Amino acid sequence: MSAALKILIIDDEPPARDRLKRLLEELDECQFVGEGGTGQEALKLADELKPDVVLLDIRMPGMDGIEAARHLADFEAPPAVIFTTAYDQYALDAFETQAVGYLLKPVRREKLERALAGATRPTRAQMAKLARMSPTGARRSHIAVRTREELKLLPVDEIRAFIADQKYVTIRHPSGEHLIEESLRSLEDEFNPDFVRIHRSALVALRHIEAVERVADGGYAVRLRGSVESLTVSRRLGGELLRRIRARD
Amino acid sequence: MSAPTAVQPEANNSAFYLPDFCATRTVFVVVLIAQLVALVLTLAGGNRDLDFWIEHARNGAFLLWIALGTAFVLCAVRKQLARLSIARASALVLALIVAVTALISELAYRLGESFTQPGTELGQLFPIEHGPFLLRGALISFIIGALALRYFFVTHEWRRNVEMEARSRIHALQARIRPHFLFNSMNTIAALTRSDPQKAEEAVEDLADLFRANLSEARAQIPLKEELEVARIYQRIEELRLGARLKVEWRVNDVPMRAMVPSLLVQPLLENAIYHGIERLPAGGTVIVAGERNGDMLRLSVANPIPTDPHPREREGNRIAIANITQRLELAFPGQSGIETTQTAENYVVTLTFPCIELP
Repeated sequence: MSAALKILIIDDEPPARDRLKRLLEELDECQFVGEGGTGQEALKLADELKPDVVLLDIRMPGMDGIEAARHLADFEAPPAVIFTTAYDQYALDAFETQAVGYLLKPVRREKLERALAGATRPTRAQMAKLARMSPTGARRSHIAVRTREELKLLPVDEIRAFIADQKYVTIRHPSGEHLIEESLRSLEDEFNPDFVRIHRSALVALRHIEAVERVADGGYAVRLRGSVESLTVSRRLGGELLRRIRARD
Repeated sequence: MSAPTAVQPEANNSAFYLPDFCATRTVFVVVLIAQLVALVLTLAGGNRDLDFWIEHARNGAFLLWIALGTAFVLCAVRKQLARLSIARASALVLALIVAVTALISELAYRLGESFTQPGTELGQLFPIEHGPFLLRGALISFIIGALALRYFFVTHEWRRNVEMEARSRIHALQARIRPHFLFNSMNTIAALTRSDPQKAEEAVEDLADLFRANLSEARAQIPLKEELEVARIYQRIEELRLGARLKVEWRVNDVPMRAMVPSLLVQPLLENAIYHGIERLPAGGTVIVAGERNGDMLRLSVANPIPTDPHPREREGNRIAIANITQRLELAFPGQSGIETTQTAENYVVTLTFPCIELP
């Protein structure tokens, strides 16, 4: 007999979590390992508890289920995800071909059983479709970075800049610098218009620009909040930067 | 407290377009029309023997009598008019206008004949020929009367359309209980059925009451007490679901509970406060429902904390609810109600102001 399926429950409503817990108790070969109420908790707990399946509510405060699933998909050993929703037509549409990826609340026991038996990771295509159709858009609210031991979630609002550096992108954040494997180009697309490209290798948060200084050769440099050094603005992008800052203020 | 005057839609004959000529507002409109006609007559007349202003004063005074006389007569026969068909009532009103004009004209002529000498300065103010004077007056009053009736008819039709539109929106809003709310409540009840059957039972009762309030024919107005009760029922259901995240503070001790308000005034605001505010905050927050009486006016406000989050939730639902409440308040208290929304970095507040009308 195989080991019991380890299951993590994420829902912001306590009664909804209780109900799923109780249903799981009645199923064989299932082991409830933990519960949480936000997308952030989903990621932390999944990182700690290494569940096989995450039952993930779509609508939650803070980080929603769709974004949490995107981050989960980037894990080294991603868990399977089953979305639970009271009524999100777009989510159902995303799974039209494959009925095991989501459950409608109130969840029926048989359906939960079937979904757990066939639980898989959402495919890349499903995730892309979900993100596209989500009312909150494809823009992440957090970026997940892995430090030595733990998973860290950086709120995008707090990020000062993304600096490209050969293979990696460095995130400048008040908590320090973090490396991620994404292209500056895709980050620029995702976080437009809150971030502005000032150089081939630098994308900065418009809201954290403290000053734009003139430098000796007639070009500009940008100083970010909480930072002493300045980032050089390329000649080509200087005009656009000034226009965006004026629009901001 | 006076009873509402303007909010008495014709129950039996809603197509009846004539305004209430007993109402000050209508009398004012009638007097205004009369004075405009007087000005036109003076401008067109060009009587070289009389000073322009004296002639205008004469015309104004004359038409004022006709206007007030007409309003008086129409006020007196209003009930009878309401029973007639539109065409008959209109014809009768026109006939009455012409009759009143003829009567006042006749009186004016008699007055001039008996108290003044022709040729004197005072005598110039009064008509000289009898028949033609009456005929002219009758014709002019017929034309102006017809135009005025047409004006009232068009205004009434327009108003009726606005009302019907408002009513259909009420129905649309009532039908549009948020599916999320429904299914989440069902889920909560499913969870409670085993863990706490008594709470589950109460939840079902609350849900039934809430749906009944939402589905019932839109009664024009209900006592504030009833409306707040519906909002409290809604609060109880949401508390089961959101647990300690939802707190509602009621500061309504100073408002008269018998004050009449349009139904579903507070509950949709509370729903929005939870949907756009509390539900989006991981730690929840407090909604404040406050009411105060200010002389003849009532102020109700609903305030909620808002999340600082990069994805502002679809505000569409909120806008529809606010527009709907605005329209229903305006229908209930024409020209006397106000709705105001203010948003700061942390808070969103909707404030309603309307006349406090208590039933005895």
